[in-house]
Amino acid sequence: MDSQPSRLNALALPLVIVGGALVIVAFILVFTVTPLVSGEAATNGFLEINGQYITNKLLLSQKIFYFHMPAAVVSMLALLFTAIYGALFLKTRNSAYDLRARTATEISLVFVLMTMVTGLAWTRYDWGVWWTWEPRLTTYFILMLMVFGYFILRTAVSDPERRAVYSSVFGIIVFINVPICFMVTRLIPSSVHPVIFRTDSGLPPLMLIPLLIGVAGFGCIAFALYRQRLRTRQIEQRIETLKLHLDELSLEG
Amino acid sequence: MTNKPRVSAWQHYRILLGKDLRREFRTREMLTSMGIYTLLVLVIFGTALVQAAEKVDILQMSGGLFWALIVFTSLLGLNRSFAYEKEDGALEGVLLVPLDRSVIFLSKLTANLLFLLVIEVIAIPLFFVFFLSGLPLQPTLPLALGPLLVGTIGIAGIGTLLATITINTRGKDVLLALLFVPLIFPLLYACVSATTLAICASPALYDIYPAAMALAIGYDVVMILVSWLLYDFVVSA
Repeated sequence: MDSQPSRLNALALPLVIVGGALVIVAFILVFTVTPLVSGEAATNGFLEINGQYITNKLLLSQKIFYFHMPAAVVSMLALLFTAIYGALFLKTRNSAYDLRARTATEISLVFVLMTMVTGLAWTRYDWGVWWTWEPRLTTYFILMLMVFGYFILRTAVSDPERRAVYSSVFGIIVFINVPICFMVTRLIPSSVHPVIFRTDSGLPPLMLIPLLIGVAGFGCIAFALYRQRLRTRQIEQRIETLKLHLDELSLEG
Repeated sequence: MTNKPRVSAWQHYRILLGKDLRREFRTREMLTSMGIYTLLVLVIFGTALVQAAEKVDILQMSGGLFWALIVFTSLLGLNRSFAYEKEDGALEGVLLVPLDRSVIFLSKLTANLLFLLVIEVIAIPLFFVFFLSGLPLQPTLPLALGPLLVGTIGIAGIGTLLATITINTRGKDVLLALLFVPLIFPLLYACVSATTLAICASPALYDIYPAAMALAIGYDVVMILVSWLLYDFVVSA
């Protein structure tokens, strides 16, 4: 499967440029065209202005959302590929699929970390705390731990075949676990912290368009990174095989 | 081949389960270590709460504490349950028998479930004596048995699959915890909430308890099915 370099590799550079451009366009749109959103006032829960409590104000920090959500969507997509390639590996036992699953998880890790950092910035500036057990945050925290677990599992198994089987199985289970996590944290309210929901449905076009551009941009960048990483790995493997051949030849000679 | 008596999957299951139970009955290795561990975790909880015991609502906390106890104890038991299979190559012997691999999963799941249930039967009275004696017991308390059973089944199910994976890795004890805790999270969350509602007889009981139970049961069904399907790959690798 990996003997011939894939034509998709040629797409990596153009895609990273297109993706970068799209993200920049989304960035400009978000700060120019998109209106500010009112929300709970930062840090105190309310502001006192002229003896009146103002509980609503326009949030600049809401702009984080346009980068936070695309990163989250892309990280989930990457995990979907981990699960698909994991299943393909279990079916065919072709190590090329394991390589793809691993690379997809690496890309997912990058975007999960990005989601976590932007999420923490959001909780800090909108809710006034660094951390709260809010459903989406909790789900992502658990997801991050599972992605860490995937890599630690990989390093803990030395036999390549066994490592590939274990990580494929774990990747599939992780992908199934994430929606369950989200449903559980969303449907069962905790008694300590109120569950805070924003009605994200029915976004006005001026908010939706930059969001979609952001998703497309991050998607392009993620795919380009994936191809580049995969190509590096494939070249590494070929060098290893060539070295082995060389060693054999020099032993014979 | 044809005139040999065929051994059914059910018989395989009974033989494998019987082997695990007989071994435990003779050595009492797992139950002793898990039981003592339970007691130690209770001592740690008691120490951790000693400064706050008068001020915190222990009834509200006890559901969560009890589940923390179950998770820690089950980690210990799950690690042990495959350790002895590995020691003398016993698992290889089992794998040489032409049997459906998922039968191994089901028998191990049942054994782990039974051991955990025995530990819970010991742990519940201890927990009550140490933390809840003298507190008003609510009439809805028996409802806490629901999440307890569903949660234990889920822990045994996903734990059996993960223990089979981690037994062949470096640093298996730590790795099992690392894979197990995040995967068990949704089940834990649902069970803690259902248990707490039942213990406190919270007014929200009839709104949230059914949803929490439905989610916990859904988690069990999905995860055990997936583990059952994937077990063949894991145990043969």
